[in-house]
Amino acid sequence: MSTVSSARPAVALYWPVQARRNIGVRSLFVVVLAFLIAYGFLFPGLFSASGFAKFTQSWFPLALVAMAQAILMLTGGISLAIGATVSLGAVIAATTMAGPLGVTGGAAAVALTGLGIGAATGFIVVRLRLPAIVVTLAGSFIIGGAALLILPRPGGAIPEWLSDLLAGDTPTAFVLLIVIVLLWKLYLATPLGLSLYAAGENPVGAYRSGVPVDAARVAAYAISGLLSTGAGLFVAAQTGSGDPVIGAAFTLNSIAAAVLGGIGFLGGQGTMRGALAGSLLLSLMISVMFFLGFTPVAQYVAQGLIIIGAVAIPQFRKVQQ
Amino acid sequence: MAPLLAARGVSKSFFGNPVLRDVSIALQPGRVHALLGENGAGKSTLINLLSGALRPDGGTIEVDGRAVARMTPAHARQAGIAVVQQELSLTASLSIAENIGLGAYPKRFGLVDYSALAARAKAACELVGLHEPLSTPVGRLPLGRRQMVEIAKALYRKPRVLILDEPTSSLSATETKILTDLLERLRSEGIAILYISHRLNEVMTLCQHVTVLKDGICTADRTLEGTDAAGLVRLMVGRDPGDLFPQWRPSASPANAVSVRNFSAGLMRDVDLDIRTGEVLGIGGLVGQGQEDLLLGLYGAIPARTASATINGTPGLPGGVPRANALGLAYVPADRKREGLHLIHTITTNMMLPAFARLPALKLRSRRAERETARGLAAQLGIKGDLARQAQALSGGNQQKVALAKWMPHDPVVLLLNDPTRGVDVETKREIYLMLRAFAAAGKAVVLLSSDTPELVHLCERVAVVRDGRIAAMLERAALSEEAIVSAAMGAENRKVAA
Repeated sequence: MSTVSSARPAVALYWPVQARRNIGVRSLFVVVLAFLIAYGFLFPGLFSASGFAKFTQSWFPLALVAMAQAILMLTGGISLAIGATVSLGAVIAATTMAGPLGVTGGAAAVALTGLGIGAATGFIVVRLRLPAIVVTLAGSFIIGGAALLILPRPGGAIPEWLSDLLAGDTPTAFVLLIVIVLLWKLYLATPLGLSLYAAGENPVGAYRSGVPVDAARVAAYAISGLLSTGAGLFVAAQTGSGDPVIGAAFTLNSIAAAVLGGIGFLGGQGTMRGALAGSLLLSLMISVMFFLGFTPVAQYVAQGLIIIGAVAIPQFRKVQQ
Repeated sequence: MAPLLAARGVSKSFFGNPVLRDVSIALQPGRVHALLGENGAGKSTLINLLSGALRPDGGTIEVDGRAVARMTPAHARQAGIAVVQQELSLTASLSIAENIGLGAYPKRFGLVDYSALAARAKAACELVGLHEPLSTPVGRLPLGRRQMVEIAKALYRKPRVLILDEPTSSLSATETKILTDLLERLRSEGIAILYISHRLNEVMTLCQHVTVLKDGICTADRTLEGTDAAGLVRLMVGRDPGDLFPQWRPSASPANAVSVRNFSAGLMRDVDLDIRTGEVLGIGGLVGQGQEDLLLGLYGAIPARTASATINGTPGLPGGVPRANALGLAYVPADRKREGLHLIHTITTNMMLPAFARLPALKLRSRRAERETARGLAAQLGIKGDLARQAQALSGGNQQKVALAKWMPHDPVVLLLNDPTRGVDVETKREIYLMLRAFAAAGKAVVLLSSDTPELVHLCERVAVVRDGRIAAMLERAALSEEAIVSAAMGAENRKVAA
């Protein structure tokens, strides 16, 4: 993508475009760094191999659902079914992987379920022109119900070696996250991926320019579903079993992380690196407040205040201009 | 030579309302073709038909002399037809290059080939004099530069037919010069260009052929040679007023109901304006020059600044809608479905709405008193039928009457009307005109913002023509004519401008 064939004059474009996209998130990166330093200070264990592994593992599922939410918000959509989809992913992983399908078959089942649920949701939202918030709210009941049907109470099992690999003392989660980010960059370098921004921000203009707006949006929903069930698989590996309601908190946390990361509700605003930084910030905030001895109630209140503050500050700046 | 793109006898109606009737236009290679017409003459509809965004009810669209059965935007793109729309099709968060290539990216291994994109986008940018780095997000560019990106985007596709819808409205003089030079060059390369503009001077220098639309009918299709600006304006305007407009006697008094100095709101900058009691003051001009902001600013619905203001004898601007109402201002919005009425509520409730703000907060409503007031208003305005029906059951004209009626019990001193007859049938138009003159005769000040030029000529004591956020001309009754208003709106020439 950035390589230049000899026949053409070399005009650098890809990397400058990438660098420009940092502009909106620089202050966020500074805040995240400050929190990271505070965390390292409070919990020096972060700098050991196992401490780093545990830290990235607590962040990983939130990072995935933040990406899942952000990709939808970029298209001008939203999902209230992410938590339920995480639960369903966890339940499917816990019921298949120890059985005849094995780990590979189970992982495939988890991935296909995510893609299928996402594509179906996207199809309903895009083709029937229904509001995403209503469709995904209804979807959350259906998907959550399906998870309870498959596994009415916590149970099932994840092979121990997989739990150790994903949630043990190795930084597998961090490596996986890097791979996922690279795949995302690759997707964003395809015409369909890049169209996501145009389809979200100016769908009429994009359509007139020849962008397959509907396809870009349905693809976004499918990817979002895949990321959500993937997060579910990881959570199941962390706990060693399946729990049909374990994902509940992820719905609102994914929105919070995306919003903290500067993703706008109107579509086309924000970057995935922002959403990832937002999820890291949220994860750090929860941990730091825990180490500072905040009660759970105070944690929630502080979390809410910080999110409102984070969204309000750019607005104040805009008003002043 | 067969025209590259042509419409033959096309017609188009929206909701039974004819917008284009039997219009033909032929775009020849190597010619800049001007399309002129007033607001609502049907220019945008014609472009949409030519580019496949709309399908004609009758007539055909021809590409290279062959009729195309079902023209679509995709087909138009393949045929090399590029449109620079008035509303930009850009994405603020993407870079200049990514916007230019949108929908037609060069690909390599399934990925966007950024280096090829850069080379081709750079070539297009150089044509229009865009020297910003290609990686600059479009959202960071001022409006004029975005317009140039939009034009570069059209050129990137190497069009054979280029349609430009008011491309210069947001361009600086330098940018306009670059564009006109560019169009001259593209013309000499054999591209067919359709150029829509309200700036007659540009049209006179740039174009060779002109098509004029008036009320959806083609009134001229001829070479520009030997035509002057005044002749073009005459082709755009002129309509038989017939019995539509009532007879009336000027009723303006020298007293000012509203007086503002150096008034700024939205697009309006440093405007001085006096509104006299007992007059109908028209506000004219091309759409979107700031007229609406003038009304909304006076009404306190958007922030406004002023050096000095007197409204109904009280110094200062209202600064908010409740205070404006208390000062005797009333506003009737243009979009009655969204701003003027609450469609799912009853006609009675809609009529009573402004009254709710004035009642003590905890006083109980008297349904009977409401019904009686509503009945009285309905009788006065000629609104027929059951007032307990939802407002959406009414025709457009009657909805507009309800939107007007709701202010009457409050005896406003200044009525601000935003295009009250848009989309209203002829019968109701006449009733509304009678009402406006009756208000003025009763000593109220009526401000009539209208996109319908005859209305301004035949109803108003004075007309303020707005251009670029300023009052370009204040035309007194003696100097009022459609030509005078259109000329002032387009900045064609300075006519007799009475104080």
